[in-house]
Amino acid sequence: MLDAVTAAGGVAATTDAAVDCRALTKSFAAGTVRAVDDVSLAIRSNEFFTLLGPSGCGKTTMLRLIAGFETQDSGSVFVHGQKLDGLPPYRRPVNTVFQSYAVFPHLTVEENIAFGLEMQRRPRPEIAARVAEMMALVKLEGLEKRKPGQLSGGQQQRVALARALANQPRVLLLDEPLAALDLKLRTEMQLELKRLQAQTGITFVFVTHDQHEAMTMSDRIAVMRAGKVLQVGTSADIYDRPASLFVADFIGDTNLLEATRIGARRFRLANGVELDAAEEGAGDKVMLAVRPERGVLVAPGGEGLPGIVEQAVYVGADTTYHLRLAGGLRLRLRDQNRDGSAARRAPGDAVAVLIAPAAVRVLAP
Amino acid sequence: MKRAGDLWHFPGARAVALAVLFFLYMPIVTLVAMSFNSGDSLTIWSGIGLRWYGVVLDNDDMLRAIRNSLAIATVATVAGTTIATMAALALARGSFRGKRAIQALLGLPLVVPEIVAAIALLLLFVLVGFRLGIVSVMVAHTTFTIPLAFLPIRARLADMDPSLAEAAADLYANEWQSFRRVILPLIWPGIAAGAMLAFIASLGDFVLAFFVSGPGSTTLPVYIFGMIRMGITPTVNAISTMLILASVALLSLSYLLGRRFR
Amino acid sequence: MTAGLRRWGLLAPSLAIVGLFVVAPLGIIAFVSTLDRGPQGTVVWDRHSLDAYAQFLFERDLMGRLTLNTDYLRIFGRSILLAALTTVLTLLMGFPTALWMAFQPPRRRGLLVFVVTVPFWTNLLVRNFSWILLLRDGGVIDAALRRLGLTSGPIEVLYTPFATAIGLTYSFLPYMILPIYVSLEKLDRRLIEAAFDLGADRWRALTRVILPLAMPGVVAGAILVFVPGLGAFISPELLGGAKSMMIGNLIQEQFGQSRNWPFGAALAFVLLALVLLALGLHALRFRRERASP
Repeated sequence: MLDAVTAAGGVAATTDAAVDCRALTKSFAAGTVRAVDDVSLAIRSNEFFTLLGPSGCGKTTMLRLIAGFETQDSGSVFVHGQKLDGLPPYRRPVNTVFQSYAVFPHLTVEENIAFGLEMQRRPRPEIAARVAEMMALVKLEGLEKRKPGQLSGGQQQRVALARALANQPRVLLLDEPLAALDLKLRTEMQLELKRLQAQTGITFVFVTHDQHEAMTMSDRIAVMRAGKVLQVGTSADIYDRPASLFVADFIGDTNLLEATRIGARRFRLANGVELDAAEEGAGDKVMLAVRPERGVLVAPGGEGLPGIVEQAVYVGADTTYHLRLAGGLRLRLRDQNRDGSAARRAPGDAVAVLIAPAAVRVLAP
Repeated sequence: MKRAGDLWHFPGARAVALAVLFFLYMPIVTLVAMSFNSGDSLTIWSGIGLRWYGVVLDNDDMLRAIRNSLAIATVATVAGTTIATMAALALARGSFRGKRAIQALLGLPLVVPEIVAAIALLLLFVLVGFRLGIVSVMVAHTTFTIPLAFLPIRARLADMDPSLAEAAADLYANEWQSFRRVILPLIWPGIAAGAMLAFIASLGDFVLAFFVSGPGSTTLPVYIFGMIRMGITPTVNAISTMLILASVALLSLSYLLGRRFR
Repeated sequence: MTAGLRRWGLLAPSLAIVGLFVVAPLGIIAFVSTLDRGPQGTVVWDRHSLDAYAQFLFERDLMGRLTLNTDYLRIFGRSILLAALTTVLTLLMGFPTALWMAFQPPRRRGLLVFVVTVPFWTNLLVRNFSWILLLRDGGVIDAALRRLGLTSGPIEVLYTPFATAIGLTYSFLPYMILPIYVSLEKLDRRLIEAAFDLGADRWRALTRVILPLAMPGVVAGAILVFVPGLGAFISPELLGGAKSMMIGNLIQEQFGQSRNWPFGAALAFVLLALVLLALGLHALRFRRERASP
């Protein structure tokens, strides 16, 4: 029961949820592929919410179920209290930004942006005003009469954004919209999207496989795998307190150490060393997750686990040390080069590692 | 020293190719040339003239045959292209039970030998008591204009980004609006190409028309055949040339339009 | 309206037309072929017999006994032979042509395809008629040969199986060229470069790499020539004369002067069966090739 609440990110009342998915299930290929497996999710208003996971985890399918391009096998979708089951996409109060942008090649930028408003039969002056407003919002002024074929990828993407936002949806769905952009542009657009969401107050539901992107932009993240939501929380929740082995491994870099329980919060590693954790966890056989940057490198012969530096990978701002501890146990430790590159340890150096109990997360193996 | 480009020249291929092109065009060119023969002979040249074209334009039966052919081709093209577009839309996305069978079925008219199809239709009309006339030929032609127009339309639809249709739906367009405002403008070249193919094929069809046309609904190819059977006069050269020029004109139009929309 | 209903609604007209005017009539052919021949050569709708099929092989002599009649068999044999010959000829002529076309610079290729396609779309009747002009005694070729002193008498080519073969080859040549061209054009040039790199000269590259890879196009072309060639009507009708009949002409005769509808239907049915057999064999071979590792 508690897990269900945690899994849902702790949103108690579903009536103020912008998007409320209840027990959604969707299979393909005559039931052999479960793309979405009994997923329940509540997304708040004015939230930048991200569905994060590897390819095939079901995040895009979730989006398409909300948009109405797929019909779920069971379960329901509510947007601001309105049940959307059975409604075709053109009757749902949500708009989508597609991965391939899907800008209409035979219409100008203006006509693209105006499209949804025309379909809703808004009066001409209103359409013209809204289009101008959108073009200013995404900074595309001057390109009104161009056709998509004459635009760059980044510009097309902004047209897709403007086209969706022009309809003032309460929820905007974005399907990996930055995937095709180069790094610099992508970083720019990440900040741009964040700004837009804050400015418009629209709930953004964002799909990506890039964890860095997710952590940069999101208010909350849902980590998905094989059709299920493994954890929902803020970036810090997910990074510091991963709920499962997969999440710990998928997000950022983690040391995963097999251990057996010898006390409520005390565990023995494979090499015999004993570690304290700040939480209990469950079970006798566990996996301890320690982030590389949480370990502290000290001189050997005092407190801490003794070990030898096997490799030192220098990348400017920090150095990742590959350590071999007693009994052949391997540990990665990341240290900021606060004192400059000269102060690095070298391969062969004897060191010791301090791991505070708060840095140890106890997970099921 | 052999240039790198010579690698791709296969000796003899060029000679055969040019000979084949000559072989393909020589008879047609001969026919067209002889149509301007002002003499009486079919094959002996006696000077240039438009005499036989005049005979064609004077011949009421021939003019009626031309009108019949054009009417039939127009109806068969419009009907066939419209129905083919509907079928292409239906088969565009997703797999469903019987999809392969339906596609095979739609292609069936192109597989069955023309003479078998012609006989079959004739027997059908006789069995049902349907009088042979222009309508029977229109029906016969529509059976093959559908699969013919289907191919380029289908190809064009397949090339279209599927998310465009989804985007239209996302932007509040229902199925009809989505078709009219997004899909149709984008597949229009395919429809035009299909219509062109259908029209030319219908104009030129002989076998089907021969069997299912009635008196008074003679098409141009059937009329020409009758002329050849009765005894060849140079008028045949003239009308044949007109047919050739019509086909070439339509084809060139289609080709140029295709280049523009690439 | 659900998506499924809409789909079937869109498909309904095409399925109805093909079903009603192609599939059903084929069934009618089969049915008619089992009927008795009526007084004017049409059918008697409620008397059945297999006379039509029997007539294919046998005929009754004056005393009512059945004797073997090879006339029709010969026509079928000639049709198969001519169709096969046409296939071979168009292949020999078409492959080098397609080869040359495929290795032209890209801009020229489009134009060449157009050039090859134009005769294809010109009326078949007219195209065969043009060969009458060329081949008849006193025609263009005859006159030219005589003027050049190569012959002294009429060439007597028209109204022979040879003329039919020329007409068929001429009619079906583009059907062979285009599929082979498409196959060759799609070929990955780097494969051929790899062959050159490994020491193959042009001939070996052609036979060991290009030809096998172009096989799908060759097979497609062969089918596009052989199958319609079997049922060809116009070429043998205009150029072959009474002594070089093919199946198509024989069928037409039953609905024309011979007036024997059941027999005509039976012949059409047998032709259809032959065509489906040829296609079925190809599909089977194709599927077996795909299934094998």
